Amino acid sequence: MNSVWVVCKRELSSFFFSPIAYVVLGVWSLFMGGFFSSAFAQYGMISMQLSRNPQLAAQYNITPTSWILSQQVFASVSVTLLFITPLLTMKLFSEEKKQGTMEMLLTYPIKDTQILLGKFFSVVSIYLIMLSILMIYPVLLSTFVRVEWSVIASSFLGIFLMGCSFLSVGLLASSWTSNQIIAAMSAFMILLLSFIVEFLSASAPAMLSAVLRQMSIGLHLKNFVAGIIDTRDIIFFLSLIFVCLFLSLRSLESHRWRG
Amino acid sequence: MINVDNLSKFYGSVEAVRGISFDVQEGEIIGFLGPNGAGKSTTMKILTGYMPASSGSAHIAGFDVSQDPLNVQKNLGYLPENNPLYPEMTVKAYLDYSASIKGLTGLEKNRSIGSVIEKCGLANVESRVIGHLSKGYRQRVGLAQALVNDPPVMLLDEPTSGLDPAQIVEIRNLIKDLKGNRTIMLSTHILPEVNMVCDRVVIIHQGRLAASGELDSLADSMNEKNRTFLSVLGQEDNFSNVLKEIDGVENVRLRGMKNGEVHYEVDSAKDLRASLASAVYEKSGKLTEIRKESITLEEIFVKIVSGETGSVEESGDE
Repeated sequence: MNSVWVVCKRELSSFFFSPIAYVVLGVWSLFMGGFFSSAFAQYGMISMQLSRNPQLAAQYNITPTSWILSQQVFASVSVTLLFITPLLTMKLFSEEKKQGTMEMLLTYPIKDTQILLGKFFSVVSIYLIMLSILMIYPVLLSTFVRVEWSVIASSFLGIFLMGCSFLSVGLLASSWTSNQIIAAMSAFMILLLSFIVEFLSASAPAMLSAVLRQMSIGLHLKNFVAGIIDTRDIIFFLSLIFVCLFLSLRSLESHRWRG
Repeated sequence: MINVDNLSKFYGSVEAVRGISFDVQEGEIIGFLGPNGAGKSTTMKILTGYMPASSGSAHIAGFDVSQDPLNVQKNLGYLPENNPLYPEMTVKAYLDYSASIKGLTGLEKNRSIGSVIEKCGLANVESRVIGHLSKGYRQRVGLAQALVNDPPVMLLDEPTSGLDPAQIVEIRNLIKDLKGNRTIMLSTHILPEVNMVCDRVVIIHQGRLAASGELDSLADSMNEKNRTFLSVLGQEDNFSNVLKEIDGVENVRLRGMKNGEVHYEVDSAKDLRASLASAVYEKSGKLTEIRKESITLEEIFVKIVSGETGSVEESGDE
């Protein structure tokens, strides 16, 4: 476990030496802040209209949590992560392969799984920083109105799991190549595919459509954001993470064989 | 400390290493020689447990490199060929990282880091970023990370390549200082380096073991003749005939002439320096230089690589 922490620590310090961590955190804050403020302004207008029409208000049952957070801010997290996570993960293995430090690392008395987990936890740590930035908005909102903390908690669980699965896909892509751009592009394409299947499922035949729907990452987030914690969704994300980490481990081993 | 037994490695269908076997005793510095592409780096990579061998086995400090790589790596300090480092880290942070990953903690770790910084002469750059260091200093950092856990076995892959002459001397002296009871395997194609640093050499060529043994015995085994070089001042043209008449002389070659000084090379079955010197004296010549020429490592190397001799095995008698 100590070795995992040593790898993780080095990885984190290198993130903050390079501009990547600052760019990612900056872009994240900018986007989330933008989504929140525009949703907040829209909600002001909508609630004003609804207060004049109580029947319509009863029909829609809009609350600040459901409208501002669930429907606007949390719903845009997945698309934002689609662009950001490949930037975070692209250097994990690619940079070491390019610099040749990979050879050094693999000759130290450390197991491949420890290397892998150390690297994975380093990007998860940065993701936790991103989530703590995201936490500002519910807290901010709670100073004006009553918010439903249970829904927010389940949303954060879902967003956390989804983010980790994005990161594991990125880690896998980074283990394939010594070129960071290619690593980022492959991760982006795989993640994009998981978004596209949702649209494809609409026009596909019934049998295929059900399968495609279940493969969509965005769809599995929907329950969490609505405040429903479904074991199927949890298992989906956990198994996706597990499969990606397992394949990365294989890829690391093949690096030894190929030299 | 290092036992290699019939080791082979294929890259696809290309056989980079073909059935190499050799042993290195504890406390020896061994020079691992061969032209570029002979399989030196491949062999070293297999020994570190980084790359699996296609067949054969290797042991370091008694541990099998393919069965028990973690224990091998705990006993090993490795400096890869182009000395890869993390350019954004400071020297101290990097050494801290390698020490931690090698399992050192707390006081022991700080003491080891302090001692390698001193040993490798890094004290005045310890808080600088590695990317800003000169190549010589970077090479010292590479050695320092290999040395930080005080390993009994060190594998150094071309530790002096790309350095300037002054830096080469520094690194060589550093390696000599490391010796102690450590076993060091040094791969290189710079031959004088081997003469200065190593106890024994292993030469590989095209993936095969071409020769191994102590430098002197290797030279003797390849030296068919005694060769004597002598320079004589102010002699007549027919002096080579005089030399030829000396008992035991087989061949005399004129090697050149400069400022009245004439250089000869004499082949003979046994060492004839004394008789040659007195012959010059008798003919009232002035002897300015006489020396026995032993075959150099360069010549051994070139002979082996050009295939002039077959496989020469001259195992040391340790």
